[in-house]
Amino acid sequence: MNLQLGYAGIPNFGLVLAVTGGAYTVGWLPVRLCMWIFNIDSQLGADILKNNAIIVSQINSHIQAQPLIGLAVFILTLIVAVAIGGVLGFISAYPAIRLRSDYLAITLLALGEILSIIGQSYDPLVGGVIGVLVPDTWSWLGGNRFTVISLVLVIAALGILFILELIARSPISRTFRAMRDNEVAAMAMGKDITKYRMEALVIGSMICSLGGALYAFYVCYVGPAAYGRLEWTFLPWLMVILGGMGNNFGVMLGTFIFIALQKLIVFYKHAFAFLPFDVVWLEYLLLGSIMIAILIFRPSGLIKEKPSQTIPKTKLEEIVGESSKKYS
Amino acid sequence: MIPPTLIDAITYSSLLGIMTFGLSFVRRTTGVWNIAHAGLVTIGAYVIFTCTSFFGGNPYIYLPLAFIFSAVIAVLEYMLIIETLRKRGASTTIMLISTLAFDLVMLSIINIYADYLQNTFSLPSKNFLLRKLDFMFLNMPGIFWTSLLLLITFLTALYYVLNYTKIGTALRACVSNPTLASISGINVMHTNLFSWLISGGLAGVAGGLLPLWIQGKPVLGDSLIAVMFCVSIVGGVEEIYGTVLGGFLVGFTQILGTSALSMVFGPSVILYKSLIPMVILALALLYAPYGIAKINWRKILTIIKFGGEPKRKI
Repeated sequence: MNLQLGYAGIPNFGLVLAVTGGAYTVGWLPVRLCMWIFNIDSQLGADILKNNAIIVSQINSHIQAQPLIGLAVFILTLIVAVAIGGVLGFISAYPAIRLRSDYLAITLLALGEILSIIGQSYDPLVGGVIGVLVPDTWSWLGGNRFTVISLVLVIAALGILFILELIARSPISRTFRAMRDNEVAAMAMGKDITKYRMEALVIGSMICSLGGALYAFYVCYVGPAAYGRLEWTFLPWLMVILGGMGNNFGVMLGTFIFIALQKLIVFYKHAFAFLPFDVVWLEYLLLGSIMIAILIFRPSGLIKEKPSQTIPKTKLEEIVGESSKKYS
Repeated sequence: MIPPTLIDAITYSSLLGIMTFGLSFVRRTTGVWNIAHAGLVTIGAYVIFTCTSFFGGNPYIYLPLAFIFSAVIAVLEYMLIIETLRKRGASTTIMLISTLAFDLVMLSIINIYADYLQNTFSLPSKNFLLRKLDFMFLNMPGIFWTSLLLLITFLTALYYVLNYTKIGTALRACVSNPTLASISGINVMHTNLFSWLISGGLAGVAGGLLPLWIQGKPVLGDSLIAVMFCVSIVGGVEEIYGTVLGGFLVGFTQILGTSALSMVFGPSVILYKSLIPMVILALALLYAPYGIAKINWRKILTIIKFGGEPKRKI
């Protein structure tokens, strides 16, 4: 999202579409793939949704005995999820790509609902409103499963951060920022704004889809109700604004602070037991208020965006030093 | 005898028109897409629910209260957040994000209030329907008459205000060129306040009517915000009355279109009813990006009549 909003200046309120696409890929593909690999009873396969729990249980037993197949299914599903995320990003953006940024944001918000509606209504996809269980491709770890998969998620997040930092230091990032700061000037320099906007949306959607897929593997369940606009669009917006737009480390900080606040409220829930309402709503009240305060008093976020440097600072100082000697 | 699906279509379209008009009005006058409009709609619903639960009586008599509550909150939102950001030179995107944050705050407060009503007074505040309190007139539900009459009354009043009053002239001046309007002595902030007040009030009224037709819940407005944006864009934000056209197009297509499709493809089609506004939005963006109110019908009729645009003689 930081790539789309922070660098390219595209406010995308339809992130939930790509996240849901990744999650639904995990809800649909691994079960069928594992059924074919492990030759699960075809009578069970005749009604995958009804026999979902039994089928997943059998698949998990096979994966425990053959961990490499579990890993292969995990990696293959992630690759497919990323591809589907890219396609969804392209399809949702195509009708609206020429619109002004706030128009684009609102249009993407509306179009972001599409997959959620289909997921709830079309049972064969992910079991409709009930959802489906997902094979645990890490079940071979036994008691260490939670620790290892958490490490895998951290490594994946660091990997994405590394890729985004590479993008941030590349010419494409400078084009994104030029497009964000002054579209007319960027167009005058010969940049195809529509093409770069599409690139930002597609790359961003691919990353979001990866996030949705990883989350689905983590909880081993996919259901439309778990992928709503609030949790997967509005709250990520809050994390980016809090940490600082156009700054990957700011976004990591914003995410960390948000999750820490969220967990603190849940952890100390019992201290608020006297209140006649669910304490979880205090979380949204607090976070919404923090967001308003940040937008008014520190719109750049906790960590400001640094100007992009085309050459290293030491080289720049050398050049300045040489030119000042030349003209003195 | 009007078929029930047509009654439903007209009712839904009228409610969409009233709800979405405020959203487009604020966008047209102040340049801000107000996501918190969803919260204002829900507040209207809960005002009616609270009043009918504690004081009883006909829900329609509490509509002015729903108007006032939502209008006041909209005005507070404008003065405390939007105007503050505008003075600091914030972009429309930042203001859009601020309305998102305000919507989160409103959603929390609404849920806290609903929890309080449920836990303290054992009221079904998380899921309520007030249809049984509605009246019937000529074998049609009161919500049909009320929503349609309110929409017509409102449009007539708006036309009069915009064209025959000083505040309407000031509003039109601010929409066309706020700087020039300010130089001419018009208080742009007061004019914007007026538009936010009307927008919030209309959201409250629409929200107050909704539980007479569909289930009321804390996410009532949020569940309809995507449709509201569809209607606004399809109708055309640049034309004030386009939103009402968009509301009727989306409402009729959703209700009557689903009904027609279900006769061909079976009742399972009804599950995909919510997809229709999104499809209409995508088509509108491809073929009429400025909305149906801005379509050059004369040009289209010429193309149909002559099989193409007539060539100009040089």
